[in-house]
Order: sequence, then C-alpha cells, then structure tokens
Amino acid sequence: MPRILIVEDDDRIRIALRLMFEGEGFVVDDAPTGEVGVALFNRMAADIAIVDIMLPAMTGFETCQALRAASDLPIVIVSARDDTADVVLGLESGADDYVTKPFVPEELLARVRAHLRRRPDKSAKAFALGNLHVIPDEGVVRHHDGTELHLTSTEFRLLTDLASANGKILSREDLLERVWGYDYFGDSRLVDVHIRRLRTKIEPDPSNPLYLVTVRGAGYKLVL
Amino acid sequence: MHRRSLRLRLLVTFGLGAFILSAFFASLTYLGIEHVLIGNQQRTDLNQSYANAALVRSTLYTSPPELPNLLNSIEKATASNVLIQTHNQWLSKSQGAVTQDVSQDVIDAADGGAATEQTLGVKGQEIFVVGLPIPSVETQFFEVFQLSTLSHTLGILLLVIGAGAILTTLMGISGGLWVTRRTVRPLERVSAAAALIAGGELTTRLVTDNTDREVQQLTDSFNAMVSQLVDRLERDARFASDVSHELRSPLTTLATSATVLSQHREELTPVAQQSLDLLVGDLSVFQSLVEDLLEIARSDAGAAPELIETVPALELVRQSVRSACQHHGIAAPPIEVADDVHDPLVNVDRRRFERVVSNLVDNAHQYAGGVVAIRISVKNATLVIDIDDTGPGVAPEEREQVFQRFFRGRAAHDRGVARGTGLGLALVRDHVRTFGGTITVEQSPEGGARFEISLPFKEGIDE
Repeated sequence: MPRILIVEDDDRIRIALRLMFEGEGFVVDDAPTGEVGVALFNRMAADIAIVDIMLPAMTGFETCQALRAASDLPIVIVSARDDTADVVLGLESGADDYVTKPFVPEELLARVRAHLRRRPDKSAKAFALGNLHVIPDEGVVRHHDGTELHLTSTEFRLLTDLASANGKILSREDLLERVWGYDYFGDSRLVDVHIRRLRTKIEPDPSNPLYLVTVRGAGYKLVL
Repeated sequence: MHRRSLRLRLLVTFGLGAFILSAFFASLTYLGIEHVLIGNQQRTDLNQSYANAALVRSTLYTSPPELPNLLNSIEKATASNVLIQTHNQWLSKSQGAVTQDVSQDVIDAADGGAATEQTLGVKGQEIFVVGLPIPSVETQFFEVFQLSTLSHTLGILLLVIGAGAILTTLMGISGGLWVTRRTVRPLERVSAAAALIAGGELTTRLVTDNTDREVQQLTDSFNAMVSQLVDRLERDARFASDVSHELRSPLTTLATSATVLSQHREELTPVAQQSLDLLVGDLSVFQSLVEDLLEIARSDAGAAPELIETVPALELVRQSVRSACQHHGIAAPPIEVADDVHDPLVNVDRRRFERVVSNLVDNAHQYAGGVVAIRISVKNATLVIDIDDTGPGVAPEEREQVFQRFFRGRAAHDRGVARGTGLGLALVRDHVRTFGGTITVEQSPEGGARFEISLPFKEGIDE
C-alpha cells in the first residue's frame, strides 16, 4: 500500500484528506506542522508527500527542502494562492508539482497516482553530456571524476526523456505528459521551473545553456 | 443630439463682439469727423462767398465790364465757380461755371433777399452752393464750391478707420482663441483623463501647468474624485478577494469530504445518493466561482509584468485550443490562418491566455453547441483571433453586457441546465485587456456568435 505524508495545518482539511486517501487505499501519515511532518517522515519514509505552503513556524518551503534533502520522494505542494512567486519558490524548494486551493480533490488524487505510477526509465541508453555521464539503468548522473551529481527523480526523468527524443523538440505539453504523466492539467510553469533547475545543475552557464536549449515557440530539446 | 462646440461658440462670440463694437465706433468716428470737416469747409466757403460777393458788388459799382475778369480770377483763386444773375437773367459767370449747378430754390431764395446755402450731390460729386443777394445792385451772387477734395480726405479716413475695425475684429478673434484655449484645454484634459480612467488606466491623474484658480480647483477635485473612486474599487476588489480567500479552506474541506462520501456511495440509501450527487454538482460550481473570483481579484491587482513573455501567437493559440479542448473533453475545432499571417509574436501571460481560450471554448460548448472554427487574421495592424460558433448568437443589446460580471444572457436563461459562474467572459475581457488587446462579440459567418480578440503584435522572423 502506498504511504502518503500530508502536512497541513488546517485540521478539517487534513482530516478530510486523510479520509479521502485512506478511502483510496493509502496509508496516511498526517502532520499539522512541518516539524512533525519531517519527524514522521524520518521515522517512516512515505512514498509521496503533500505539503501546504502556508504553515506556522517551519514554512512549507522549508519542509520541502528538509524532505528533499532526505529523499527523492515526489512532493506536491498546496499553494494558498495561485501566486507565481509562491509556486516558483515551492518548486525551487524541491517540490515536483503543485495544486492551488481550492483544489479539486479528484485532480489531487490523479496527480498523486500519476507520480506514484512513474518509474525511472531503466531502458534508456546511457549518454554523455559534456563532462557528465547519465546512466539511466543506475538512475545516476556522474561527473567525469566519478562523483555523483544529484538529480531528483523528476529532473532525471526530464533529462532522460529529452535525451530519448534524439534531438527532437519536445513541447511543454509533451513533457508534462511524459514526465509528469498528465493528460491535461498542470501548466507550463511546472516545466519551465524544472528546466531552469535542471540547467543550474547540468549547464556550465545556466543563463546560456549549451545542452538544454529552448526552441522559441516550440519547447525544449537536448543537444547531445 | 448634436451639441454646439463651446470652442466655436466662444470664438464666434468674441469675433462677433469685436466686430460689432469696432464697426459701431468706426462709424461713429467717421460720421463725426465727416460732419466736422464738412461743417468747417462750408463755413470757410461761406465766408469766402461773402468776401467775393463784396468784391463783385464793388466791381459792379465801379467798372461793370471788369466783371468777367473778376469772376475768372475768383475761380482761379478759390477753385470755385461764380455766377451772377440779375432780374432772373444770367449776367455773367466764371469760365467753369455751369448754370444747372444752381437750383431754382437757391435762385428764388436769393431773389427774395435771403442768403442760402445748399449741399448737392451732382454726378457723384458733392457741391456746396451759396446764394447771396446783393440788393444794392439788384443782383444775386451764386458761388459753387467743389467738395471733392474733402471727399478724398474722407475716403482715406474711411480706409484707415475700416482697417482699424478689421484689425480690432481680428484681435477679438485671437483674444477669443486665447481665452478658448485657456478655458477649453483644461476641459479637454479632464475629458481625456476621464476617458483613460474609464478605459481602466486608474493611475491617470490630471497635472496642471495652469495657475488659474478655477482650473486648479477643477484639477484638485477631479484628482480627489479619482482617488476616492480607485480606493472604492480597491476596497471592493479586496473585499471580493478576501471573501474568496476565506472561502478556500472550508471549500477544500467540503469538496474533499464530498469525495470521501462519493467513495462510500454504495453504502448510501438512494435518497442520500441523490442528494450527494446534487451536493457534488453544486460544489463544483461553487469551486469554479471561487476560482474565478480569485482570478478576477488577481487580475484587478494588475498583471505581474514578469509573467508577460513574447510568444509566437500561432503556436500559442494551437496549444491553448488543444489543452482547452482536452480539458473540456471535446473535439478541437479547426484553426484557419489567413494567408497574410506569417509569424506574429504577442506579449502575453501564457497561463492567462490559455484561460481566455479555455473560457471561450467552454462558453461556446455550454451555450452554442461548440466552436466551429478559430480564424486568425491581421486587421488594422492588430492580430485578430476569431472564435466562431453556430449557436443562437448574442443579441446586439447584450453584446457589451455579456462581458460584465455575473451577467446572465438570454442563452443562459433559455438553457436552465447550464450553470456557469457568470464570470467566465468577464475574466476573458480582463485578461485580454492586460495584454493590451480588446475583445468584442459579433455575428459569425455561420450565424452564431463570433468572439473577436484583437491583440497588438510584432512580426517575427519568418522562417
């Protein structure tokens, strides 16, 4: 049974979410604060986390960072506002996805399922990217000197999917569908922020990308 | 109703006023001077006549044959013609004299022993005729003076005064222009500022470089009014936004709990199931309403400039239509691009643009049986995106109202089942405006409604 961590300070929403996910067959850990959430996660690692951004004391962003530091689990943030700054900051804090309140519960469920369905694509071939070696079957990226470059599972997926397109351009929608497994929801910001974050990790100069290039009006492509 | 222009009225008043006044004073001056000049001339002439008559008398006494010579010499000296009559017979006259110049009235008066004078207009030239009796020799003395030299002077005077009058009128008109500018310009500024504010430029304020107290007062009260209006608008927007924010958490709980109930639907009695379905249905309307209200509140707060990016329009429209149709679970309509559209670039917030297309597609789906075609063309240097349907169309009197918040058109009433939030098209217009564009609704070639979005664009590098 998949285990889900819910960090939400509003008691009623937390209880409703717990009931809903339990009804869908999840094992639910719920926490009213970020501190409790991180402590729960350290005791028993969840498969996926839902984190509200508006938390007392330890913020949702900090909670994301703490969880991300400990694990590659998918994190979905719940943003109070559909405020781009919040969304971007949340994604930069390590979240893989976001929903805004008031969210449609079925949509949240569908997103959580999509994240859990995702498995690293082990069939992809290994490839080199400048000084980096991307090895999909091990799920790692190594520097030339053998040290490992840490990518989250979403970032890794983004990289390998772009690579398997063999230099073809992938639109933001293509990427949403391939990487996040979404048919329609999610918006292009999700892709853009992840691309940006990936660039800071793999590009020598992230503002002038050599490998992960933007094709105006079409999407992104990986130049090998 | 056709309104007279204040500018024109002021100009006409000033011009006409200056003209009437200057014409009046010019006439008065001319007539006065003419009167004085002619009076003087006639007095001089009269005195001259008495002197000449005395000369004639003494000549008739002393040596009558000398008379013609005397008359000629008088004519030379005073440039007047002299005629002498005795017993109703012309005795003599100077060379240039014409007997017709002396009227019977003058002759009769002189005959009767009275001195007369008469001004006659003969052949367009004024003459002054003096008739004097010389009783001692039973003779009448007539002298005819030409007033033409005077009329020349008067002509020049008329010219000068007339020119003065015209100049005064022109000065009146230019004074009118100045006053008009000074009076009308602040009004025009107010009107332009009001138009800007009505168009959504709420930061517009009047600035004055004019130190007139009245204009300053107008400026101050106008600006105060706009500030209060903006405050009021912001309060209203904040209120809507606050309410929506407060609704979010309970709504989330409600929606999640309803989902939990749906998970246990099978355990419910048929009555409970039915009421659950009603609950779930209206919750989703409630949810859309709150989402739309929040979106409108954000839109009222203005577009975040960092979200505006330059995007190829064709690709953007295609993507937006595709995702909107996927979202609403309907087939994507054809997109027709006019031949003169190459690679237009538009400045938009991608998410908001997608929302615009999504709402319009949804609107057509709800009320008009779906979008029949999306047509892209260039009109008057703006990019025009037409979203056409084959539905009942929008009645002309509702074409502005459909974009108002919570407006329910006939179509919405006719189809009791459809339950929109009443905010979809209002949001569309708000968003289109933040991109510097406009949206109108007309009739589509298919007879339904055509929502026409016009956006400013740049031509991209055509590949």
